[in-house]
Amino acid sequence: MTQVIIDGKPCAAEEGETLLVVARREGIDIPAFCFEESLASYGACRMCLVEVVKGARPGITTSCTLQAADGLEVLTETPEITGLRKALIELYLAQAPRAESIKALARRYGVEKTRFARKVVKEDPLQNRCILCGLCVRVCGEIMGAGAINYIGRGQFTEINTPFYEENEACMGCGACAEVCPTGAIALEDRTDTRVMKSWSETKVPLARCAACGTFFAPVPFTRYAHEKLDPGILDALKDLCPACRSKAAARKAILLKKEGVIPPEPELQA
Amino acid sequence: MDTARLNEIVERYPAPAGKILGILEQVQREVGYLPKDILQFLAKRLEVSLSELYSLATFYSFFTLAPLGEHVVTVCMGTACHVKGAPELVATLKRLLGVEVDEVTRDGKFLLTTEDNHFSLTSARCFGACSMAPVLRVDNKIFGYITPDRIPAILEQFGWKESQHRGS
Amino acid sequence: MDLDALKAARQKGLQKLLPDRPRVAVGLATCGIAAGGDRVYAALEAAIRDRGLDMELAKVGCIGYCREEPLVNIQIPGKPCVILHRVTEADAEEIVRAVAAGDVPRRLALCRVETWDPLVGEKLDFGTGFDDIPAYADIPYFAPQRKIVLRDAGFINPEDIDEYFAVGGYRALYKALTEMTPEAVIDEVIASGLRGRGGAGFPTGTKWNFTKVEKSLRKYIICNADEGDPGAYMNRNEMESDPHMILEGMLIGAYAIGAREGIIYVRAEYPLAIARLTRAMEEARAHGLLGKNIFGTDFSFELTLAEGAGAFVCGEETALIASIEGKTGRPRPRPPFPAQKGLWGMPTNINNVETWTNIPVIISRGGDWFAGIGAEKNTGTKVYSLVGEVQRVGLVEVPLGTPIRTLVYDVGNGGIDGRDIKAVQTGGPSGGCIPASLFDTPMDYEHLTAVGSIMGSGGVVVMDETTSMVDTARFFIGFTHEESCGKCAPCREGLKHMLMILDKILSGKATRENLDLLEELSGTIKKTSLCGLGQTAPNPVLTTLKYFRNEYDATLKGAK
Repeated sequence: MTQVIIDGKPCAAEEGETLLVVARREGIDIPAFCFEESLASYGACRMCLVEVVKGARPGITTSCTLQAADGLEVLTETPEITGLRKALIELYLAQAPRAESIKALARRYGVEKTRFARKVVKEDPLQNRCILCGLCVRVCGEIMGAGAINYIGRGQFTEINTPFYEENEACMGCGACAEVCPTGAIALEDRTDTRVMKSWSETKVPLARCAACGTFFAPVPFTRYAHEKLDPGILDALKDLCPACRSKAAARKAILLKKEGVIPPEPELQA
Repeated sequence: MDTARLNEIVERYPAPAGKILGILEQVQREVGYLPKDILQFLAKRLEVSLSELYSLATFYSFFTLAPLGEHVVTVCMGTACHVKGAPELVATLKRLLGVEVDEVTRDGKFLLTTEDNHFSLTSARCFGACSMAPVLRVDNKIFGYITPDRIPAILEQFGWKESQHRGS
Repeated sequence: MDLDALKAARQKGLQKLLPDRPRVAVGLATCGIAAGGDRVYAALEAAIRDRGLDMELAKVGCIGYCREEPLVNIQIPGKPCVILHRVTEADAEEIVRAVAAGDVPRRLALCRVETWDPLVGEKLDFGTGFDDIPAYADIPYFAPQRKIVLRDAGFINPEDIDEYFAVGGYRALYKALTEMTPEAVIDEVIASGLRGRGGAGFPTGTKWNFTKVEKSLRKYIICNADEGDPGAYMNRNEMESDPHMILEGMLIGAYAIGAREGIIYVRAEYPLAIARLTRAMEEARAHGLLGKNIFGTDFSFELTLAEGAGAFVCGEETALIASIEGKTGRPRPRPPFPAQKGLWGMPTNINNVETWTNIPVIISRGGDWFAGIGAEKNTGTKVYSLVGEVQRVGLVEVPLGTPIRTLVYDVGNGGIDGRDIKAVQTGGPSGGCIPASLFDTPMDYEHLTAVGSIMGSGGVVVMDETTSMVDTARFFIGFTHEESCGKCAPCREGLKHMLMILDKILSGKATRENLDLLEELSGTIKKTSLCGLGQTAPNPVLTTLKYFRNEYDATLKGAK
């Protein structure tokens, strides 16, 4: 364990721990869009800037890439940092004018409007909300192992979508992308037996139907993934059931097992 | 390009360093662009996702996803060429080739191809031939000290016909 | 290969470089070829063959006087090497006829070279005579120059390792491997004061140490040959004219650092450089200078070449590494630095082409010798590409600390058609515009930074009274905006808005508020961007605002 000082407050931290994580644990709300603890620090959104006042490299840096070390002392809201955040918020307001979370942050920082030309694209698959933080790309590739979506192009022409802007069979329809998106940009919709990833070139993924109640409950490829990776011990009899029926079935199974004597009696009783 | 040739290219890169880009570059050189079916084949062969290859193909300016014209005219847009009048050369070439368009394409890349697919017009960030600025290149041949009035004669060497290509 | 073999190879090379019959050599780097050097070569070849003349025809690299190309060297045994300029194929007959008669055509002669010092080996004595032709040192373009990096360029055949041996090639490597410890090599480089020639000017020896001290079974060294600055082409010529010097520098560096593998990362826009480096690597391998147990020592080294695919941002170290790994070139936050976690997660040292080329001479002549050249904390020479609105364009190598004025007026001979020079732009898109009033500024890392520009890789683009500085600023923002990788918001979004504002200014529709916003945004991008590209991208705007604000003001609405 080591101790760092954030805004004058001594905080306990693991050596090498990300400063942003330490601060958030201590209830210090540093804004950040591109950070997710389970992924490597990316340093793209630049919102989590802090000022190192004591440490190996004094000056302004991103707290998602700053590692806790003994004696490290940082400030999270200096006038300069606030000014830079406001400037960045203005850029984001222009880039993603429909993103509610950006507007909320703007209100928090007292940014009333952006002085930059707002970009509104008709029929934007990401609903004029995407700020290219890359969380969806990284989650899809690094955590889900699907790699269904990626960056396309570079610079201001960067977009996120499926290759060739076509339906992509690599997509499992898991929705992890939408789950991590900080601006709610990713749209998906379940239409009876199909999940439509509206933001990802309308990629369609079939939904699995519950063998008991007949409800469509989860994308087929994702249930396979879940059975293999997340819950490899699951009983075959439960695989085709929706979560609600699954818990019912699990209870019934236990009763059945008991009744039919499948569970072996205690050894001493047998004797 | 057939599978045998693709496999040959893949095997030419035993060292991991530079492998994926090297393979894509070779395909770009031989085929003139990166066709979808080849990217799909390479994704399987190299065990990377198609989205990753597509991402590479659209990130690096060396790659194109559509076939280039038979002859590629590239105008150098380096600093020296800019100072020495490269923008005028582009305007002249657009006019001579009849590919005057203003809109920016979705990927932001500057690449225009004539209707008969004989010429493609594109730009490069710098050839490193700054001493002869402004410079343009047709296929692999570099021409230096270019003025707009010299361009028709250069294009004619590559089959340009005023009646056929010039825009209205 | 051993010392005797090296000596024998040198003799063999000398017979090619200084044959006992006339040698005609054509400058065939990219610029020489584009100027018609290949046609001159073909015409000379035909003329020699048709007449059945007893003379050598050779290819050499470029001596750097690009405005005068095509250049042809004439060496007649016992006579000085005469450099002919602006040669055309129509001159071929006249040239070979004169050479066959032991003479050179005076009307084509630029200068004569009696002896040439390759610094790491014995001097090349060409001979004396032709006193009516100006001496090399009297040519104003060459007089202020000091050739270290480009000492062989334009004299040796870059496609023949023997000619590199002839000018003392690979002797420094032999010395390092057989007489010096890796630590001693690093000490020598530290003593030389050599700083990275890629732009930032970090001390090379210190940088090597970062990777050397890492404990790892695998380490890499990389040559950054992704020369990306528009208006800069010194690395191209270094690769095309003297590729073995880079290889030798890398071999010495690898030995010092403890790396067994190296990669040269070259931009795809340089096909000739790639071809000559590839050939140089094959030749070096055939002579046992790459591979296992080099010079019979325990030192082994493998080198491969990776091609860039057109992305300026790949000059940034972490983006370059990503590109070699087959990923998109998006920089990642540092630390960890490449010296700790670089290529494939291994400690990696990256240096620019010109940095590597300085290494052999430092090992041969010693760090103190090198430190005696140049200025305080700015030792050695720097190659600049002097281009734009200046009379004599080309590659110029001068000691660090040489004033801008020397470059622009003594070497470059001032503006074209009597026009006044207004500014120079140094350092590429990360640099700035320096006004003529500051032309006494010494060109070294600190002084260029102090006036708001940077050294960068050495591009010097001259601008005269006809150049609009607002348009120049817009050009660079257009460039960085196109080349931004798009990862971090300030660079991607900020440059887009800077470009929009600049376009508004250029169309005469901008207000004072727009101009203020441009300046404010520049500061935001500098302070918040992830990598060096974004952190320096606003410099061309900031320096033109600083020195040429009147040109911006003149465009504003209501301005007369």
